[in-house]
Amino acid sequence: MSRGAGLPAVLQGLEGIQLPGLPSVPDHLDWPVLDPSALPLPDLSFLPGPAEVVPDLPGTAAQWAVLLPLLAAALTVGLVRRSSRAAAWATIPLTLLTLLATLWHPVTLAAREGEPPRHSSTVGPLALGELVAPLELQSGRLVVLLAVVVATVALAVQVFARWYLFYDPRYRPFAATVSLFTAAMMLVVHSDDVLLTLVGWEVMGWCSYLLIGHYSAKDSANRAATKALLVTRVADVGFVIGLVVLAAGAGSTRLSDIVEHWSGPAGGDGPWLALAMTGVVLGVAGKSAQVPFQDWLPDAMAGPTPASALIHAATMVAAGAVVLAQLLPLLQSAGPARLLLAVLTAVTVVGAALMAFAQPDLKRVLAWSTVSQVGLMLAVLAVVPAGQGPDAALMQLTSHAWFKALLFLALGWLGVLTGGTAVVHVVGGTTRFRTLRRPLAVGLLALAGVPPLVGFFSKELLLAQVEAGVEAGPGVAATVVLAAVGASVPLTAAYCMRAWLVLGRGQHPVLQQGATRIDDFFIDRDVLEEAAGVEEAESAISSSARSAVTALSVLTVLGGLLALTPVLQVELVVNVPLLAVSLLLMALAALVVWALGRGVRTRDAAARLPHPVVLAAERGLGFGRVYTTAVAVPVLAAARAVRWLDREVLDGYVRGLGHLARGLGAAGAWGHRGAPGPAMLAVLAGAVLVAAVGVVTG
Amino acid sequence: MSALGLPAVLVAVLLPLLTAVALAVADRFPTPPAPGLSRWVGGGAAVLTGLATAATVWARPEVDLPWIPALGVRLHLAVDGVSAPLLLLTALVAVVVGLLPWHPPEHDPPVDRTAPLPPDPLEAARGRATYHACLLLVLAGAVLTFLTRDAVVFFVAFELVLVPMWVLVARHGDATRRAAREGAALRFVLVTATGSTLMLVGILGVATRTGTTDLDRWEQLGGAGTASGQVLLAALLLLGLAVKVPVWPLHTWLPWVHATAPTAGSVLLAAVLLKMGVYGMVRLVLAPLPQGFATLAPLLAGLAVTGIVWAGLACLVERDLKRLIAWSSVAHLGFVVLALAAGTETGLQAALFGNVAHGVVSALLFVVVGELKRQWGGASLDTARAALREVTPRLGFALVLGMAAAMGLPGLAPFWGEIGALYASWAPGEARPTGWFRVFMVVAAIGAALGAAYAARVLREVWAGDRTTPLIADLRGPTLVATVLLGAAVLGLGVYPALLLDLSAGSVASLLAAGSGGGP
Repeated sequence: MSRGAGLPAVLQGLEGIQLPGLPSVPDHLDWPVLDPSALPLPDLSFLPGPAEVVPDLPGTAAQWAVLLPLLAAALTVGLVRRSSRAAAWATIPLTLLTLLATLWHPVTLAAREGEPPRHSSTVGPLALGELVAPLELQSGRLVVLLAVVVATVALAVQVFARWYLFYDPRYRPFAATVSLFTAAMMLVVHSDDVLLTLVGWEVMGWCSYLLIGHYSAKDSANRAATKALLVTRVADVGFVIGLVVLAAGAGSTRLSDIVEHWSGPAGGDGPWLALAMTGVVLGVAGKSAQVPFQDWLPDAMAGPTPASALIHAATMVAAGAVVLAQLLPLLQSAGPARLLLAVLTAVTVVGAALMAFAQPDLKRVLAWSTVSQVGLMLAVLAVVPAGQGPDAALMQLTSHAWFKALLFLALGWLGVLTGGTAVVHVVGGTTRFRTLRRPLAVGLLALAGVPPLVGFFSKELLLAQVEAGVEAGPGVAATVVLAAVGASVPLTAAYCMRAWLVLGRGQHPVLQQGATRIDDFFIDRDVLEEAAGVEEAESAISSSARSAVTALSVLTVLGGLLALTPVLQVELVVNVPLLAVSLLLMALAALVVWALGRGVRTRDAAARLPHPVVLAAERGLGFGRVYTTAVAVPVLAAARAVRWLDREVLDGYVRGLGHLARGLGAAGAWGHRGAPGPAMLAVLAGAVLVAAVGVVTG
Repeated sequence: MSALGLPAVLVAVLLPLLTAVALAVADRFPTPPAPGLSRWVGGGAAVLTGLATAATVWARPEVDLPWIPALGVRLHLAVDGVSAPLLLLTALVAVVVGLLPWHPPEHDPPVDRTAPLPPDPLEAARGRATYHACLLLVLAGAVLTFLTRDAVVFFVAFELVLVPMWVLVARHGDATRRAAREGAALRFVLVTATGSTLMLVGILGVATRTGTTDLDRWEQLGGAGTASGQVLLAALLLLGLAVKVPVWPLHTWLPWVHATAPTAGSVLLAAVLLKMGVYGMVRLVLAPLPQGFATLAPLLAGLAVTGIVWAGLACLVERDLKRLIAWSSVAHLGFVVLALAAGTETGLQAALFGNVAHGVVSALLFVVVGELKRQWGGASLDTARAALREVTPRLGFALVLGMAAAMGLPGLAPFWGEIGALYASWAPGEARPTGWFRVFMVVAAIGAALGAAYAARVLREVWAGDRTTPLIADLRGPTLVATVLLGAAVLGLGVYPALLLDLSAGSVASLLAAGSGGGP
């Protein structure tokens, strides 16, 4: 959306709003403030030690959050033999314990309020000579929030996969990989060391490779997995270089040391900081599927749905936002990197939202919407003014994690019932299987940002933050981001509305007279009784998997309350004009989509797009081909050249040496084939005699 | 020295040597020992050697006996931080080699069951004792190389492995054609003997300058003498050792020899022989000739990063799986040499760690690929095979673990060496051109991405897929135990790298301090 010049930017507080016709807003919003320190604590005074220290688990919650999923993975791989039930018993309780550990975390943090942030050790410190590598974990307000988000999504995915993949012969490696994935993300979240960040980062990439390639007998899955691994790993070249440069400047891999060094006079505005952060931004763009690395993510839909939920919601794609949030002070002082991030994400946010609208498969719609939504959280990080925290971006991360996990799991459930997630399969899905109506509705509404769901809160905070960025220092970056974020509001609403219309279409709807009808080759299937549909949906899913979906729905509905707790330190500024305009735009977009879908049998507005456009959108605008021609073909050509040079030139010298040695040997043998004549012997004996005389007398 | 020390070091050096001699002699008897007996004796001695080597590292005994008084050569055996990780690696490899069974090479003529006379049982047994003797000799040479503190003994031990390795490649290699086996073996002997000769000249040169062959004295006297003299000697030594490591462009023997050697031979080559080259660079060049090394370091580092990219590219189009693994060794050792050339403590630590990590990973991969090659009847990737994930989950898992480690996945051993090399290259030591080293670091980081490409390629061609024929057997028995040991080492070193880093930290610091302190 574009802000009209007449709309005042209200940042100073609510006093600024004096528009006529709007109700006056109270100075202080009297929301119940959830104070973690006020939560009921078990009476632990009987334990030894100072009373004010809440006895933690042995070790810290951060350590447990990383260790427990790791343990689950190790147990599943090491001990369980071919039994899905045992694998589930190894992973799900430990994931639950992980969640409990992360929930216990704020309690201990609150008890230690005012103390410096806690650090806990891992396998370090490493004796790496001049380089200080303590390998520590940290904990803090935002770390706790992210850990809880990751743990909830991981638990939901594990529980859901227990149903979704239980009869898959590879459930056991799947569960182990998901656990390892969770541990890696926990490591990134809790990391206070760039080496640990890199460890978690790369392990996640590898786990995503395994998860996407889960159905490894299918060529499409293998191709998608390889693509995901290679695209992210190529982008990680920048990430690795960036982190090494940052660590080299500070002489330490501890994050706080790095931030301190590069923010100080020694770091300065030199080219190295900009270079390093540009590298990091490139790596983040790769992992978060931002332009120009976006193409791996939609293909990653070849993996099983729970894996998609995990990768798209709280882990891999969001890891970039976590790392940039940790390095935020450095990003803020590295202008070029910031501009690069702003431009890449702005292009991605708008482009991916458009792509999402045109996809003929709802799972791919969700994939592209992930690209767009992750772009939003990264974009806002590019414009946070110096001195402010990354809270708005992390709120977006939280909200996206919950509603996107909900959408993926619910769509996966629907896919099981309808036999696929393409539009032709899922038409009328929520009318035939009414149990799914609520979770899908909640998820799509949250994605669109409709109040009072969690997506609404995150989007408003995001808009406010971007506006603050523009106010603080108008520049290219801020303007570009503002435009992109504004444009994303109606676009997101449009593809959500489209998905909902398709899902919610009734049986044999009577098409309105007067609307232009188009033939979309859709034939209604046999009518299923509604009751039968409900029954099928109810019996198809295990109660635990259903409860996972329900829990995510609840979090999606109530998650907005987080913005009011001290966990997030955001300015709760209700910018009423902005709010009104964005809601209006959303409604308008939805209306347009509805109107477009009227003449279509599937109620699919995208059916009105020309076929070449749909086809191009499904193929990701041919970016895969671009990767091939721009990178793969030249590299392979170089590889063939290397093979030839190695065999014909370098090894030629070695072979030549061999021939030379053999030739010399043969020559020697040829020279010695005859017996020496007596004269020759006499000459030799004489020479030896003369030499001997010389030695003895000399 | 604890009571355990002396027996341990004696067993570690003498047991393989004596058993090898006994086996080799017994093989020349009219009735050679039965294959089963050779296997039990040879394998048992190898495992015992491994245990004794580990005990040596733990007890840290010191043996110092005069040997050739006229030359001032002493049989001085000791363990310090630089050699301890390599000795542990040798111990692990000894156990693995002891466990690995011998398999008849593909090229042996099939037994003609319709022949009027039964095949000679002696013919089958002939050579088996020699095979085990050769393995033990290589182990003995490796243990002695890493234990000795005398340059001449170092050279002797270094050369001790040459002939047995030649026998292993030429007689027991798994290439189907005799010419290929002998070509590979000849390549190995010719190239490494040339390198060794250069190294010997270098050793004699340094010995003449310092007047001693004691490596500890060399370390203390490091930096003495004129810079130009140091450069010449360092160049000779580095050239000789670079063949062994190998550093680009002296690497061409490696893919051939690796691809032809029997599995145990490949494991020894990758995990022990190549390590001796890097170890030699630290002991014979870096410590006694710091200025010469510093002068040549940029060139060495440049060759190393060229090797990383070169080998990474070669892996993308190599059609022979075993040779592909050999190529990846060249890339990994590029990182090790790059870290070494940087000349900082971080670099040296990373180099020593990367060296051991590469040994473990390539040993694992060679065990897996050797098993595959035996069952497939060849290692060509052009032939359609059953997907490992479908038919042999254990082999598949081991391959995934090995390839993940080869691409430098964090949490597995090689990562720490690679990232340390990148860091060291970005912040190289004094007297090194920072700009060049930073360029090398960027190139090396790009080369590391190639690792992911060939790992993904191998897994896609071998591990994934839907073919289930021809069926092959999964890992079991001693090979499984060996694989599990190596896999545990890859994982253990990756998760807890401090294990080795702490072991070598003290010696690395004192080695570099002596080098920089003694300079003019």
